[in-house]
Amino acid sequence: MNTTQHDFVVTHYAPRAEAYVSSAVHSAGADLDQIEAFVTGQADARALDLGCGGGHVSYRAAPHVREVVACDLTPAMLAQVKRTASERGLRNIVVQQAAAERLPFEDGAFDIVMCRYSAHHWNNMEAGLREARRVLKSGGRAIFADAVAPAHPLLDTHLQTIELLRDPSHVRNYSAAEWLAALARSGFRATGLTARKVRLEFAVWTERTKTPELYVKAIRSLQAQASAPVRDHFAISEDGSFELDTLAIEAVAG
Amino acid sequence: MNEANIAAPGSPAPTEPTRIDPRLLEILVCPVTRATLEYDSKRQELISRAAKLAYPIRDGIPIMLPEEARALEE
Repeated sequence: MNTTQHDFVVTHYAPRAEAYVSSAVHSAGADLDQIEAFVTGQADARALDLGCGGGHVSYRAAPHVREVVACDLTPAMLAQVKRTASERGLRNIVVQQAAAERLPFEDGAFDIVMCRYSAHHWNNMEAGLREARRVLKSGGRAIFADAVAPAHPLLDTHLQTIELLRDPSHVRNYSAAEWLAALARSGFRATGLTARKVRLEFAVWTERTKTPELYVKAIRSLQAQASAPVRDHFAISEDGSFELDTLAIEAVAG
Repeated sequence: MNEANIAAPGSPAPTEPTRIDPRLLEILVCPVTRATLEYDSKRQELISRAAKLAYPIRDGIPIMLPEEARALEE
């Protein structure tokens, strides 16, 4: 475990907690609808929202399950989630600080694990997946939704580069193949894959992370010089807005 | 929808900001040793005897990171 990177993530996200609660990209989307459907009818289930961020998965899931444990590395995010859950009358959400790579829960503590837009921040993605598997009951279900890298190295490199310029805590967007291999090695059996495109409005996207002007200009410059295959794949528009690939993977703890 | 989980509009959840949620205590273990924890309500700490660490509880949120924990004396 790398303390420095953890501190870096916490310091980076603390002042931005509210922006993630109100963010349109984070608070709505077909993947959230899918997660809600995934937990519907599981009234006895204890669910883990792993890397809860602004808590959007927890708010959607809470009415359907017995209890949601919303877990994140950043205390300011958790305070925000606690406050929002209380305001919305969602009493079955409890918050917990922890690192994904070292979860403080007993083996098999959960029936469901939900993880959205989080794994790309982790120091060690596979250690986090192994922990997710460990805290799930055997036969328990998990859903992982995240931004993913395209398979082609040219497109992958463009994406990782603008992500890092935008947010210095960015670790890596994994490809679908990397996701599936890591899940299999961690004891999960994937049962469904749903690929989606999410349009990111450039100004909103960089404002949320308070990207310095120098780096905003660097991203715009890279986009302007990008080759046609890159521009086409990401559907980059004049103002820098573009389409991000996302993937939702449903899996069973084997 | 499980209506039992939704409070009436306008009624704030009866949470005390400085107390740990008892539902969490059932499932929490030490992230280092995965042993069970003792709850010290006075000091607001979760004690891992095996790891000789006391994890702080801040604003009712247990901070389960070894690097944030207090080392216990022998």
